Amino acid sequence: MIAVFSKYKQAFILGLQSNLVYRWNFLARGLFSLLHLAAAFILWGAIFTVKPTIGGFNLAQTITYFVTLIILQFFIGAFNEDYQISEEIRNGLINQFLLKPINYYLYRFSVFVAARLVSGALVLIPLILISPWIGSYLVFPHDMWRLLCAIPAMAMAAIIQFSIAYCFGMLSFWFLEIQGFVILSMAVETALGGQAFPLDLMPKAIFNIAQYLPFFYQMYFPAAIITGRIGPELITQGFMIQAFWVVVLLCTSQLLWVRGLKRHTAVGG
Amino acid sequence: MNYFKIWLAGARYSLVRTMMFRGDFFIWSLVELLWMGVNLLLVAVIYQHTPSIAGWTQYQMVMLVGTGMLVQRLLMGFFWTNLFELGRNVRSGAFDFFLSQPGHPLFMASTRKLDPDGLANSFVALGVVIFAANKLNLHPSVLDMIGYTLVIFAGLAIHYSILVLTMSLSFWLTSTSGIEGTYFALTEFSRLPKGAFHGLARLVFVWILPLVVVSNTPAEILFSGFKLSWALGLVGIAIIWLSVAIFVFNRGLKRYASASS
Repeated sequence: MIAVFSKYKQAFILGLQSNLVYRWNFLARGLFSLLHLAAAFILWGAIFTVKPTIGGFNLAQTITYFVTLIILQFFIGAFNEDYQISEEIRNGLINQFLLKPINYYLYRFSVFVAARLVSGALVLIPLILISPWIGSYLVFPHDMWRLLCAIPAMAMAAIIQFSIAYCFGMLSFWFLEIQGFVILSMAVETALGGQAFPLDLMPKAIFNIAQYLPFFYQMYFPAAIITGRIGPELITQGFMIQAFWVVVLLCTSQLLWVRGLKRHTAVGG
Repeated sequence: MNYFKIWLAGARYSLVRTMMFRGDFFIWSLVELLWMGVNLLLVAVIYQHTPSIAGWTQYQMVMLVGTGMLVQRLLMGFFWTNLFELGRNVRSGAFDFFLSQPGHPLFMASTRKLDPDGLANSFVALGVVIFAANKLNLHPSVLDMIGYTLVIFAGLAIHYSILVLTMSLSFWLTSTSGIEGTYFALTEFSRLPKGAFHGLARLVFVWILPLVVVSNTPAEILFSGFKLSWALGLVGIAIIWLSVAIFVFNRGLKRYASASS
């Protein structure tokens, strides 16, 4: 067990080192998110001039939601893992894993966790810098239980995000180009994952359907727990559905890997 | 005339290529369609809760989003792939290829490929604008429509210039991967009504970077009729931006040192 753990610990350390090389890229991405935040600020600021609350929340609570999303995105979101996996398959770099007692999913996941620690730490820098301006807009509920619930929700969200990226990467066994699929799913994830707007603002019927989709648990669910947009009942039910999607996506990842390898031709030595 | 012939040859080549990779064309058309859907969904959801944003009603906002998308789809269709590859080509030295062609390198590098999926979706964006105009019960005159077309193309020139300026940085910087993200981050502002911007944001996004004006002016022409001063203003801004972009590109070109020995 310890031997297994130390194997992936090495992958984790490797991931930390290689991602620290890209620290400027992550920092630049962090600055882009500030532009996104500014756009959200302008749009929602204009909306709230007409009404003091929308969907039961005021401007500060809505801005808090968008800031939380940015932090979550850098701590648990998949960035270009799908593309990296696709490259490894296309260039034959996965061949080395076929001969070693290493599980490719766990290896990539260890690297993913390391990458998110680096990017998560880096996004805090621009956010701290702008905190004098946005500080008064940050209003989090004071319930301790929300923070405790947020931890497993974030962990499962990270697995869902990574697994979806992993599955898209696996498509490289069948298709030459996966970029189209990736951006296609990004559009769906942006809308149904709550990045464009808080999902609870959607009509009730659509919100109820969205709750059963995996996208709901990628971003919105942990963000809504932390910012108090959903109550205890929905959280309990949400945990069950989130766990269900974790299992489904882990199985799909494994299935695509096994099926894909059957089509894979390892060329060269 | 000569340039038009060169462009036509490139366009023909791009169409033949698209016919070869029909699956790709289908997927990328769907990608752009879905992204437009996301923006319209945002409008639909917000107006469930409020009657107006900065004085704009729901269908006025749909028209704004549609107009913004139209300019962006035209940019995608005509220039995006070319300019996106510009950065990579400068770094790899493949840019040499454009220097040996019969035309200004900027023209050659920005018009080599067409993206038929972007162009196909510009019709969808136009459809969104027409749908919104119908809902608003607008009956634009011929002059309004000519004015709208004129400012759309002026807007396209401004977007093109901003993208050329961004990608020209690759002449000075060694790695520009991800720099195109700047453009996408900025276009988010073009889908917002001008009245929503105040203070510093108004100065930066309305006056310094004319992204907001680019989408707001054409939409306003359709609501409140063609005004020569608006159209000429936007054309003037477009000429200034285009001149700056060409100047910076030419300066960058002087620094280009190829990559091979």
